[in-house]
Amino acid sequence: MGEYGFLPKLPFDFSQLALFGALLAIGLLAGEAARRYFALPRITGYVLAGAALGPQAFGVLDSNALYDLRLVVDLSIGLAVFELGFRLSFDWLRRNPWLFATAVAESTLCFWAIYGALAWFEFRPLLAATAAAIGTATSPPVVMLVAEDLRAEGQITERMLLFTAVNTVFAYVSLTLLLPFLHLEQAAGWDAALLHPLYVLAGSVAMGYAACRLLLGLAGWLGKRKTGQLLLLVAVVVLTIGAAHSLKLSVPLALVTFGMLARNLDRRHVLLPARLGELGQLFFVLLFVITGASLEFRALGVAAAGVVAAYIALRFLGKAAALLAFGHLSGIRPGGAGLLALALVPMSGLAVVMVRDTVSLYPSFGRELAAVVLSAVVVLELLGPLATQFALRRAGEAHPES
Amino acid sequence: MEFAPSAGVSLGIELELQLVRPHDLDLARDASDLLARLEKRRLPGAVKPEITESMIELNSSVHERADTLARELDEMRRAVVEEAGVLNVRISGGGAHPFHDWTDRRIFPNERFRYVVERYGYLAKQFTVFGQHIHVGCQSGDDAVYLVHMLTRYVPHFIALSAASPYYQGEDTSFQSSRLTAVNAFPLAGHMPFVQDWAEFAEYFGKMRAFGIVASMKDFYWDIRPKPEYGTVEIRVCDTPLTVERAARLAAYAQALAAWHLAERPRPPARAVYLVNSHNRFEASRYGLRGELVEPYAGVKKRIGDDILETLELVASHARRLGCAEPLAELAAAVRAEDTDAAWLRARHAARGSLADVVRDACTRWENREQLQKQT
Repeated sequence: MGEYGFLPKLPFDFSQLALFGALLAIGLLAGEAARRYFALPRITGYVLAGAALGPQAFGVLDSNALYDLRLVVDLSIGLAVFELGFRLSFDWLRRNPWLFATAVAESTLCFWAIYGALAWFEFRPLLAATAAAIGTATSPPVVMLVAEDLRAEGQITERMLLFTAVNTVFAYVSLTLLLPFLHLEQAAGWDAALLHPLYVLAGSVAMGYAACRLLLGLAGWLGKRKTGQLLLLVAVVVLTIGAAHSLKLSVPLALVTFGMLARNLDRRHVLLPARLGELGQLFFVLLFVITGASLEFRALGVAAAGVVAAYIALRFLGKAAALLAFGHLSGIRPGGAGLLALALVPMSGLAVVMVRDTVSLYPSFGRELAAVVLSAVVVLELLGPLATQFALRRAGEAHPES
Repeated sequence: MEFAPSAGVSLGIELELQLVRPHDLDLARDASDLLARLEKRRLPGAVKPEITESMIELNSSVHERADTLARELDEMRRAVVEEAGVLNVRISGGGAHPFHDWTDRRIFPNERFRYVVERYGYLAKQFTVFGQHIHVGCQSGDDAVYLVHMLTRYVPHFIALSAASPYYQGEDTSFQSSRLTAVNAFPLAGHMPFVQDWAEFAEYFGKMRAFGIVASMKDFYWDIRPKPEYGTVEIRVCDTPLTVERAARLAAYAQALAAWHLAERPRPPARAVYLVNSHNRFEASRYGLRGELVEPYAGVKKRIGDDILETLELVASHARRLGCAEPLAELAAAVRAEDTDAAWLRARHAARGSLADVVRDACTRWENREQLQKQT
């Protein structure tokens, strides 16, 4: 060891921590620039910054780095769907049964519309169904972040969040139910084909329930201190995300269950109203930068353009048709249904995760799926936030000073 | 300015209500959607917008008796709660939301409220407080002027009996009613000048209008004011109570007081009433039933609760004649037990430990959910 052994060696070995900080700062600045100079939603800035850093542009984030960051993605999405579930009141659905019917119709119609479009392009049924299931979900972090950015409040905003929660659950459950067919197509045994979905569904729901009981029990003991409860909430959410991840359960399904149960099983009201607020924002910025970096621009060839356009158009039409047909029964004001359909357009990181999980299961099938779904994500990553922003502004629910 | 006479001591009330969102129990901003739904229902009274989108106002129709008023209020309450349920909005009484941030409020988009914001700036958003106004019918403008002077002596009674805003902006204010402080900020708050009859009042109003200070009676934010187009005297110091029952009892008390004064003319108008008014009003807001008012005619100090009980005795015969002895007996029992809405809210806070819980419990109390569930 030389005299100057305390100095770092060249080239510098940047730690994961420095990477987090840098991504956060770059995302933040790009978001602000998008807002200030182009009047775009901040999310668009985060995504573009990620795309620029990603393997297909400057390559600061290569595919190894992205793989290392997947836990951050899970964490961010877990936090988002938890908060979404935590807002969903069963009581509202009980008082307004048409609302639940509308939400289910929205998911179902959207699924079949996409499936029909892909079948028309002669995709085989299993691939079409899987891509349709993934497309049913609206991106929770996008709608939440846009609503937060605009300080949006009101009926369209509330319903957007509720329908996003429902279609996220719908997407995950239908994706899981497709698993047996996937296993069989890939010549796995019957036992795996049946046990895998059962394990994922029952396991994720049980995990969500256990987390809810843990949170309610500890919160009851802790008492009603705001900071204490917020820290506890974050602790249990992060713990659940990590546990679901290790047990190969579905992180979003476990967390949305956790959120919903925590809201609706808290009969003695031991929990204070809590919002992850700025903490959530921190992870959302990272999430969108990483999502941006994972966008597959190459997949967006001329050949695929027709399929992608049909996928996006039918996805929107499916959602819109259900909302226009049933919306007024659930008490949406005239003109609100169309805006709500627009607000539900975003598709993003959640879809990337669903594709990623399928790729890890059966790589060849996953690649076929990625070609369709991820191309749509590229487009909707940019259009989605704009659509939501437009819808909430038009509905008069954005804060006048936002 | 003409005073449109109405049936003597007829009753009507306005109640401003809080719209609450269940997920964090802060104020919601769904007044327009809720009003649009209520428009489609046949209701006995009317439901109207208020200054911010977090409020609505129930207006009863005109009643001869407090019990029919109470029934009508309950019918309206039920309709509002039902429609709000469809929108995931809860409804609460109480004079102020315990922890909302007034800077979050949004002004209801109509011409009158835009003018108020333009004129009063931040006071408009801070005016997201919730009151009950009681209208008592008068046969002439002269009766109305006399009645305003008489009822002013009882302003502390109405404040103490209705007090339901102990918390404001997340703090215990130590007041029983903190709401009146938001009203005091307006330049035209206060009381009617010491005029002797309607002619003199009309002259005063004409002058104020000629000066360009007011355009209509609406611009006076007085505690009690004549309302010539309705032919009433309007008491405006009450917090919205936590239940419609208490709201109807307060109306019954106003009716009995008005009947006693108009029928017997027991006292002449006195300037002394206005000398002690600010003091009495503060005592009632701060200490409620335990406050001490200065009785302006005798010049002695009295506990507000005791003064209410004595007054209830004095109006008893008129109450029987008007059929409102029962609500007044309930009011007396509440005074004896010091059972006030402010005390109830503080007790909920002590039992539950957070203001969010207080709001939820207040909503449940207003909505009378157990009763709702039994019926459906």
